[in-house]
Amino acid sequence: MFEIDPGEDINLIVDVVQRFSSAVLSEQYRDFEAAKALPATVLNDYAALGLGSLELPEALGGAGLGSRAKIAVLEELGYGDPGATLALDGIGPALYAIAELGGESALNEYILPRLGDPGARIALIWDDGGVRKKVGLRRNGDHYIGTEPWIPCQQADLLVILDRQGVSIVDSGFTLKAIKGSGLRAAGAAEVVFDQAPIAMRWDDPAAAARALAKWQLYISALLVGVFRVAADTSREYAMDRVAFGKPIAHHQALAFLIVDMQTAVDSTRLLMQDAACRADAGQPFEAAAASAFAEAVETSMFVTPNALQIFGGQGFMQDLPLEKYMREARTLGLMAGGVDLAREVAGQDVCAMGATVELSALALAE
Amino acid sequence: MDFSVDSATQQRIEKLNDLGREHMRPLGIEADLLGRPTPPEHPYFEKLVGMGYGRTRYTGRKGQDDSPKKSSDKSKAKRMGRSRASLLLSEQMSYWDRGVAVSAPGPGLGEGAIMSMGTEDQKERYLSPFIKLDKPRWGAFAMTEPAAGSDVASIQTRAIKDGNDWVLIGNKSFSGNSSRSDFILVWATVDASLGRAGHRAFLVERGMPGLQDFHIEKKMGLKAYESTSFRLEECRVPAENLLGGEAYYESRAGFKGAMATFNATRPLIAAMAVGIGRSALDESLAFARENQMLDDPRVRDRLERVTRKLRAARLLCLKAAWLADHQQPNIVEASMSKAVAPTAAFEATSLGMELLGMVGARGDHLIEKLFRDVKAMDIVEGTGQIQRVVMARQMLGLPHG
Ligand SMILES: Cc1cc2nc3c(=O)[nH]c(=O)nc-3n(C[C@H](O)[C@H](O)[C@H](O)COP(=O)(O)OP(=O)(O)OC[C@H]3O[C@@H](n4cnc5c(N)ncnc54)[C@H](O)[C@@H]3O)c2cc1C
Repeated sequence: MFEIDPGEDINLIVDVVQRFSSAVLSEQYRDFEAAKALPATVLNDYAALGLGSLELPEALGGAGLGSRAKIAVLEELGYGDPGATLALDGIGPALYAIAELGGESALNEYILPRLGDPGARIALIWDDGGVRKKVGLRRNGDHYIGTEPWIPCQQADLLVILDRQGVSIVDSGFTLKAIKGSGLRAAGAAEVVFDQAPIAMRWDDPAAAARALAKWQLYISALLVGVFRVAADTSREYAMDRVAFGKPIAHHQALAFLIVDMQTAVDSTRLLMQDAACRADAGQPFEAAAASAFAEAVETSMFVTPNALQIFGGQGFMQDLPLEKYMREARTLGLMAGGVDLAREVAGQDVCAMGATVELSALALAE
Repeated sequence: MDFSVDSATQQRIEKLNDLGREHMRPLGIEADLLGRPTPPEHPYFEKLVGMGYGRTRYTGRKGQDDSPKKSSDKSKAKRMGRSRASLLLSEQMSYWDRGVAVSAPGPGLGEGAIMSMGTEDQKERYLSPFIKLDKPRWGAFAMTEPAAGSDVASIQTRAIKDGNDWVLIGNKSFSGNSSRSDFILVWATVDASLGRAGHRAFLVERGMPGLQDFHIEKKMGLKAYESTSFRLEECRVPAENLLGGEAYYESRAGFKGAMATFNATRPLIAAMAVGIGRSALDESLAFARENQMLDDPRVRDRLERVTRKLRAARLLCLKAAWLADHQQPNIVEASMSKAVAPTAAFEATSLGMELLGMVGARGDHLIEKLFRDVKAMDIVEGTGQIQRVVMARQMLGLPHG
């Protein structure tokens, strides 16, 4: 069930994505960030790779691949630039909310018409039901009021609002106002003001909503893994080069141990994420595993990216290098998909229901 | 150990709070938005000078000082020590804005070295303008180079004696306020193979030919003050600008002055980190209260933890400063405070972002700015790793190198 090697098909795709990511995203991330957008050529080049329908069922003209493939692609794109990834994959995790709750007819209605447009953007918003009393949006009968403080795009065709009960589609009655954003600026940033925005469509199904959330968490986890993997790689290479006190700084044991710990955290978090994706693809319960992978990814990101900056010393604090960006992107990604506290809650509930820790083992599931 | 705050310091803190609320915090936010340091001609600096900020510890040439000695021995006993007082003031300035605090006029980080190593003439020439400033003036300190930071002994900037001058050749990085400074205390080496013993410090004045290519770095945070890299292209400096004069270096290793500067400032920098952390914590508490999040034990436990870590860091700072006030060795304590305060403060800002959620992602909340400001605190004045090296040498006899 749990396969480290995702198989030849997926590996071929990942190779292509890796080349695109390093040739385009890793090269132009500062331009994207300054423009708060991607040039049309980049959007078109990515669209030409045909990855937009990766997870769509074959019946709908998609590749019919699952989470394992998607996280592999996202991780490589995130390695280059997670903000740009959100712009390139404009439908993004909204796909899950629509597919899990609306099914094939909803995919036909909302996703298929947008697949051919590289600039199409759907914003997925988490409605936390009032965790923060004074901020955020509220569902009020058949419409939404309030303000969503931030979404990672400047223009959205459609809003998909997920909560623990279900999902709403909103296509009117809101305005987007461009803002600066902390991380992920390449994706653009806006606040959404809801003026009695009517719900165009609503499905209630808590179990399906939980799956949609879990896939969203996996999506963000993959971007996080991409970011902290590049941060760890970059700082490890630098530490082998930079000399202080007569040797490469990597050979001072304090840094040597730090660097191997960073690498360990990258690998272990990645495995948790891959395990959750494999469970999803196998049709097993994967919600808690995804939440747990996300919580780990958020924690790892706040261990790896600040330390990667630290390894660069004073230069790390300067914007000539991407270390400060990795830290900002990581911090912002960790706020998404309902945030880390929601993930802890979901994973924690599962621990309470757990019979014995044998369930922690991926092997046990293979039987 | 008595950590109580005397009324004079309390009053200074209150005065500072007014300044902080009214000027420092807004200026810090403005510089952050505009992405550039507060320009030297900004009226805020005039105001600071008018209020008596930016002054040197130097009191004037001995025998020339006609102002009455301020404190008799008796009143001194009642006042809290200088280190603790300046520690609390530094923390509070940083609470309002650490970048703006560093942008303040004054003789800068080189003051300590000039006081301890400088000749009477040099103190008079470079520090007396800061006894009572006629206008905003700055001094700067330049040790770090592109290839040498923590390992100060390996700086490459060369100092070559040429007749009655010295010629300086090299590059310096990230020197605070340097492009606006009257003078920069530049560290160079007469022979890189000698390590510290080859070091010499020079008072390089603005406008000296060869002091050039100032480049104000674009930083992640702390944007209100300039961190500037520059070049010394055969910069010719008269012999009298060698800090301490030839005689000083004949009698001892050249490096000592710089180490002394660092030791005195470590608890101050640690306290500044605490200030940033407290600022993030206050904002977090206000946000959590307003949004009725404090009933959630998950939120409360983390706020409690951050509060505890910041309090502990602050006590370490105070202890290090208390020791300094009582002329007791504080190398380990100073490094302890500097090792832990930046991480405690980082945690405060990162937690703050989590509490804000999407509000944090917008990039226009103070906590988001503090998250970007705070990381430098673990790098400047000896990185976290270097603090541990220093402590391990002291406590465990860890060999050098
Ligand atoms: C905002 C800012 C303001 C600054 N202002 C000034 C200024 O006014 N004047 C000035 O001269 N400099 C200034 N600096 C420079 C600062 O002092 C240096 O960045 C700092 O000393 C670290 O040096 P480095 O950047 O060369 O990093 P390096 O020394 O190259 O260190 C790189 C990494 O290696 C680690 N490391 C090094 N040696 C060891 C070891 N033995 N064991 C374990 N780990 C080790 C470090 O901890 C760090 O993580 C400033 C820097 C910043 C960010």
